Amino acid sequence: MRALRAELLKLSGIPSAWVAVVVGLVVPFAVAALNAGARSAGRAAGGSDPTGVDAGFQELAFGVIGVVVLGVAAASSEYFAEGGDSAGGRQITASLTAVPSRVRFLAAKAGALVLAAAALAVLSTAATLTVSRVVPGEFAAPLTSADAPRVLGVVAYWVLTALLAHGLTLLTRGGVVPLVVLILNTSVVSVTYLLTRVTPLANYLPDLAGARMFVRTFRSSVEIPPLAGGVVMAAWTLALFGVAAAVFLRRDA
Amino acid sequence: MITIDQVSKRRGSKQILTEVGFEARPGRVTGFLGPNGAGKSSTLRILLGLDRPDGGVALVAGRPFARLRRPLTTVGAVLDGGGAHRSRTGRGHLRWIAASNGLPRARVDEVLDLVGLTEAAGRRVGGYSLGMGRRLALAAALLGDPPVLVLDEPVNGLDPEGIRRLRVLLRDRAAAGGTVLLSSHLIGELAETVDDVVVIDRGRVVALGTLAEVTGAHRGLEDAFFALTSGTGPGTGHGGRP
Repeated sequence: MRALRAELLKLSGIPSAWVAVVVGLVVPFAVAALNAGARSAGRAAGGSDPTGVDAGFQELAFGVIGVVVLGVAAASSEYFAEGGDSAGGRQITASLTAVPSRVRFLAAKAGALVLAAAALAVLSTAATLTVSRVVPGEFAAPLTSADAPRVLGVVAYWVLTALLAHGLTLLTRGGVVPLVVLILNTSVVSVTYLLTRVTPLANYLPDLAGARMFVRTFRSSVEIPPLAGGVVMAAWTLALFGVAAAVFLRRDA
Repeated sequence: MITIDQVSKRRGSKQILTEVGFEARPGRVTGFLGPNGAGKSSTLRILLGLDRPDGGVALVAGRPFARLRRPLTTVGAVLDGGGAHRSRTGRGHLRWIAASNGLPRARVDEVLDLVGLTEAAGRRVGGYSLGMGRRLALAAALLGDPPVLVLDEPVNGLDPEGIRRLRVLLRDRAAAGGTVLLSSHLIGELAETVDDVVVIDRGRVVALGTLAEVTGAHRGLEDAFFALTSGTGPGTGHGGRP
């Protein structure tokens, strides 16, 4: 508990964590507002989501870059160091002299990240779904109780993505590579999606499988039920985090 | 009490520590002396559980550091950079450390005052001078009011006033029954502060004992140091295990 409190304090003290919060809140909200406006203006346009059933949810799949930044920052801040004789130095030294059990340290770090990512996901989902329903007015597909599991799916997707980004950064000990890879894949070119054109197996990569938890219309030949998608993504996360933890426990700080 | 026993460590193909062994006892300031790259920091990092030895054990109060539940109440450590993230304020850095060991918040302001950083406490660490960074690291080490202090090159970057204050503080801690282990490559600074001396060179302890024992027939600790670490000196002839 003490270690968890310390990790929450640490996370709240780095600027990139707040950048993550802003990105996670603003990006899906803004895109959803634009899309909702476009949808109500020209409903017949169709596109990938003619029924509007994924309105807001598509944007939330994209807004996950907020927690990518959060997960990366939580790990890379431990290893960040400027030139040789700075007043600072790598935080991992201070972290492990304060909490020497590496298992406890990792658990506290993951715990703080899960709490922060879940809170961010809840807030962002509420804002994004609201704007995606309010702007189109009568054209909006109304939210029903059947959408509740989808909301849970969004939260799970964000939390698992944060942990994936975190685990990857623990391995690389630097934020640049995971940030570039994960953000490019989410926003500019979805390499994982392109891979599904090569092999249907790519549908089981974590981001694509996980998105099945809440996105309903997929241009894909492979059917994965929401729960199965979540399980696949969780398995990926567990595996990657397990490898990262094993490496972290053995190597010199 | 600090016990380093037969600690060895390789990094890649290089043997950086070879069966390093010594003790730092309560009520005394122990100086850990050696040229740059002799293995001082490596030894202290192993003592603090940051790096793993290939052989041997390092114990604080009879236990490996990694087994301590609230380590800050047992050992305060100042290592290389101090580990404050540059985006945090000095106070913010101390606050999470205090939280991690369940120490009261009020303690943060106490140690800030103790090291003379109260006025800079609200500024980001990235803007601190080297000396201020060292003082912040010392403040973190003192948070839990620990009976054992481990300091790696603590006088680096300190101004003469800061060095004097540190010296008084370390002497006071030892006088109160505390164990103080500090490493340095600055022999002059050390001679006036330490009771016991351990000299390490190329990963091996080449001398250990009281200040008088290690100084021996030499004019001073500095002469003894150069004789011991130049490779032509009397080697392990001085002192002996305490």
